[in-house]
Amino acid sequence: MAELTELTTAVATGQRAATLRLTQELLAAGHTPSSLVERALVPGMAIVGEQFKRNEIFVPEMLIAARAMKEALKILEPLLIAAGIKPKYTVIIGTVQGDLHDIGKNLISMMWRGAGFAVVDLGTNVSAERYLAAALEHQARLIGLSALLTTTMPAMKETVRVLKAAGVPHLRVVVGGAPITQQFADEIGADGYAADAGSAVELAHRLLAPAA
Amino acid sequence: MPQTDRSLALRTALALRPLLGDGATGTQLQELGLAPGACGELWNTQFPDRIRRVHRRYFEAGADLLTTNTFGGTSFVLESHGVTGRVAELNYAAARLAREIAGDRAWVLGDLGPFGGLLEPLGDTPPELAAAAFRAQADALLAGGADALLVETMSDPAEAALAVQAAKAAGADLVFATFTFQKTAVGYRTMMGTTAAAAVAAVVAAGADLVGANCGTALSLADYAHLTAELVAAAGALPVIVQPNAGSPRLVDGRISYAESAAQFAAAAPHLLAAGARLVGGCCGSTPAHIAALAPIVKAPSRPFPHPQPASITLA
Repeated sequence: MAELTELTTAVATGQRAATLRLTQELLAAGHTPSSLVERALVPGMAIVGEQFKRNEIFVPEMLIAARAMKEALKILEPLLIAAGIKPKYTVIIGTVQGDLHDIGKNLISMMWRGAGFAVVDLGTNVSAERYLAAALEHQARLIGLSALLTTTMPAMKETVRVLKAAGVPHLRVVVGGAPITQQFADEIGADGYAADAGSAVELAHRLLAPAA
Repeated sequence: MPQTDRSLALRTALALRPLLGDGATGTQLQELGLAPGACGELWNTQFPDRIRRVHRRYFEAGADLLTTNTFGGTSFVLESHGVTGRVAELNYAAARLAREIAGDRAWVLGDLGPFGGLLEPLGDTPPELAAAAFRAQADALLAGGADALLVETMSDPAEAALAVQAAKAAGADLVFATFTFQKTAVGYRTMMGTTAAAAVAAVVAAGADLVGANCGTALSLADYAHLTAELVAAAGALPVIVQPNAGSPRLVDGRISYAESAAQFAAAAPHLLAAGARLVGGCCGSTPAHIAALAPIVKAPSRPFPHPQPASITLA
């Protein structure tokens, strides 16, 4: 009989067909959709994030793993919705105003989805007002801002300023992108910075964890 | 001078001495008023004088090659800005502008940047669509008077190879191909995990005549010297081109500023040349001042080639 760990491995190594088969077998064996997500998919994508952080894998392997995960979610998400089970956290992501680049943003979006969050992806060229409106609409706890162009770093600063000034309780703002550094994140008052898609998951967990 | 003669002269010059590239275009255009994230390629027809001004500054700084303002000139990138049906017009105009300033005193490098997405099977873009986009851009750049084409800031070796093949098919005599690397725990890699050796091999197989690196994430000028040595080892007989950023960008008083000064560029240049670079220029944040500081070092007539096979470029 299929084991949850097999599904974890299938996702982490990007085996799409095996992921699909194991998801169906495990469901047939009586596992709940939420236990498949929490005990197989999330750990599988966590392995991917760790390997990516350690430069053991790169963007292609991460994309392939995320694609396998999406195959499983295609089956599981309708079941979760039918059962009224919602992700614990909703997070917002987008590339800041003036910037049309989305490869990095899409990677974070996939990894956050893989961490079990509901991800609202606003796309590229997103104004501060749109981030804020989405956060309020979805009662999000976390917003991720991406930028590739050095020239849109001021837009990131302005977005953080607007979001912070809005004073939404419990809303955290994190930033990332090729030109972004921890120092820059600190200077513009962001709540966090992640250097890569693996670290972005850890950062989100750290900021979303209930205060001890 | 006809294009073929200029191209032969470029091959000859590359065999004789290190050449000086130019610096960043985008950051220069922002200084002239381009809004952050706006489509700079539109300025090739809208504000040609501003593009001429940037080329003239680099020419006066001593650049041997002027790079066209067409980094985002593929249909893919232009369409992301809502600009449709203008690939030929904007790229042709850009090459004309660089040609006007360069005359026969400098060479024009037609610039092709990434198309902005990911190729199948990893992404959604069929390779033939990306290839057609690169081909259309290359055709217009050559028609406008580019002497050589530069495929730059590449991460995916498959995409770089497509662009090089398109440039060659369009009739470019010389095609340069450069990748953007980051420093990882396992050495210098592109975003796709490609090593310098694998990156070089991919574009050489596609027909590239010069190979190298530009831009780069969080690479210091010292990193650039190490990376140059790796590229030279991988390139064999082909000349290596390096165009570093002026350090990592920082926000100072609301403005983006780059850490590496012109003096630091000049100090790094001998190391890049000693590692075997044959064409040195600058990427993001580098200015005419950076290029002017490089000029006496890169263009020193007495500088001997450290590379053991300096005359290996075939004169067509």
